[in-house]
Amino acid sequence: MKTIAFKTLGCRLNQYETDALASQFQNNNYKLVDFDEEADVYVINTCTVTHQSDHKSRNFINQITKRHKDSILVVTGCMADNAKDELESKDEINYVLENDNKSALFSLVEAHFNGEIKHTDQLNKDRFDYGSTEKGFHTRSMIKIQDGCDNFCTFCIIPSVRGRAKSRPFQDIIDNIQSVIDGGAKEVIITGVNIGRYEYEDYKFDDLVEAILNLDGDFRLRISSLEPDGFGDKFLGLLSHPKMTPHLHLCLQSGSDKLLLGMRRMYTIKTFKDTVEKVRAIRPDFNFTTDMIIGFPGESETDFTDSCNMIQDMQFGHVHTFKYSIRKGTRAERMPDQIPEKLKTERSAILRDIAEACKLKYRSQFVGKTQRVLVENINGNIGRGYGEHYIPVQFEAENLKQNTFYDVTIKKIHTDKDILLIGELI
Amino acid sequence: MKSHQVINLRHLTPSAYIIRLEKKNFTFKTGQYITLGFSGSIDRREYSIYSAEQDDYIEVLIKDVENGLLSKKLKKCKPGDMLDIDGAFGHFSLKDDEVKNKKFMFICTGTGISPVHSFIHTHPEMDYTLLHGIRHKEEAYEKETYDSNRYVLCTSGENTGDFNGRVTEYLLKNPVSPDTICYLCGNCHMIYEAYDILEKQGVKLGPIHTEVYF
Repeated sequence: MKTIAFKTLGCRLNQYETDALASQFQNNNYKLVDFDEEADVYVINTCTVTHQSDHKSRNFINQITKRHKDSILVVTGCMADNAKDELESKDEINYVLENDNKSALFSLVEAHFNGEIKHTDQLNKDRFDYGSTEKGFHTRSMIKIQDGCDNFCTFCIIPSVRGRAKSRPFQDIIDNIQSVIDGGAKEVIITGVNIGRYEYEDYKFDDLVEAILNLDGDFRLRISSLEPDGFGDKFLGLLSHPKMTPHLHLCLQSGSDKLLLGMRRMYTIKTFKDTVEKVRAIRPDFNFTTDMIIGFPGESETDFTDSCNMIQDMQFGHVHTFKYSIRKGTRAERMPDQIPEKLKTERSAILRDIAEACKLKYRSQFVGKTQRVLVENINGNIGRGYGEHYIPVQFEAENLKQNTFYDVTIKKIHTDKDILLIGELI
Repeated sequence: MKSHQVINLRHLTPSAYIIRLEKKNFTFKTGQYITLGFSGSIDRREYSIYSAEQDDYIEVLIKDVENGLLSKKLKKCKPGDMLDIDGAFGHFSLKDDEVKNKKFMFICTGTGISPVHSFIHTHPEMDYTLLHGIRHKEEAYEKETYDSNRYVLCTSGENTGDFNGRVTEYLLKNPVSPDTICYLCGNCHMIYEAYDILEKQGVKLGPIHTEVYF
């Protein structure tokens, strides 16, 4: 049996695509092994959203080219689009597979073992032609509904590497989700690059979400990262549906209207706050998580303070902070007033501390309350998974089963490594 | 991405010009932008579409900027040259159901008038007021193509317009009715200030649409 190992960097969409590809290989008699182990094939699904992601991607490529010279190495993902020439010039990399061709990874590897070299022109270019993710790395079932982005935020390279926004056919998604629910999936996550802009024929994002929520089965729906534009009151109304998880990752990026304009974001601080307030008026413990960029060109002390204040005002459950890094070809690359790296690092540390304090405060409110935990990992009698608010919960019970819901009362919080809720089975 | 032939260039001022390109089967929604570059080159820039949806050509309004990589080269284009167009992109668009029965205020500065030109020439029947902020009167690009009763020229560098001062100063002195749909296009500072002013005047946030020019 041939062995294959994957390393995935970056976003949920990359994770989904790796899960689907890994399942396809397993369904075709490949054994999935850890990336640190010996494998016949290594696949690095790269990310290029920041300098740091480029750096990490290069490190993993170097690891494989040094340690496993006889294995097949395929580099795919956004770096494969953004630095194609550089990667193709490295003899140690057998194949550089752009996002457009990623779904054809299996046929490329199979062809290789059959002594055939396939040119990318011969490969499938369907960005939605991924199989199910039932044998991937995650208990939760990710479903790709959309790819690409037309927003062209001034800091972002993604429209150049993921291409134009494209929505997957409505019925394909519904059929796909019904099939994973019928196959036992308990949590479905819809994912894409800019899913709020989903549009297929007459169906918009809120129509799709409504149709998913109306499917039969014991499951819950989670929405991956969402831009704070492009959806309206109908969508906000759907957040109260019993199958919808009370969590949204709404990408704020800055607490300053001046910087949001510079980033070419399509919302203001007020509209963002209005959205959060509308939702929390119905469900006060709704978990909003977000992304923040630190050190965007022109970020003044006041702008930075606005960002810090916004985190406290919104009481985010989690904040993913990124130091701004220049991406070649973006509008922000040509902006004046680039912020020195040292200042970005200092501001990141301050903002992270504030975000951690907010996270602790937010999660503390769950002590004494109930969470419905989908168990993902079991170690003896200890089960761990996420509650409906997307907060990690650990509890003890006998005969635990993976991919099963358990109602748990939260008793305390552990703050050692991550902020973990400790519960008791009801 | 597709290659389109340059039909002609129209020089409006020593630094501003309009490139007209063949349309082929290109479609767009008025207000959207394209990325433009020489065929085969990786250097590309974004430009709002100046022409109307129904025109049988595509036009973009460009101002060459100091140290600009592309704007200076594009200025030297000749009829017959090939340029690559990608798009159309963007969500700075009119809503079909509002065009016929709503009152619009377009507030723009400099070449930010480009998508507004496209709006107005796509829907000439619209009920609109156009506020164009510039420094000097020669930057009032093709002002004769707008209805003079609906066009307010704000000149901040000299007293040659309908109003001497910035568009934001005009807005402070001439409040906008709250039921107006506002579209703002131009530099960050103008949008930032105008947005605040409009909000204080009771224009609800929903109907304010912005497109930033850099």
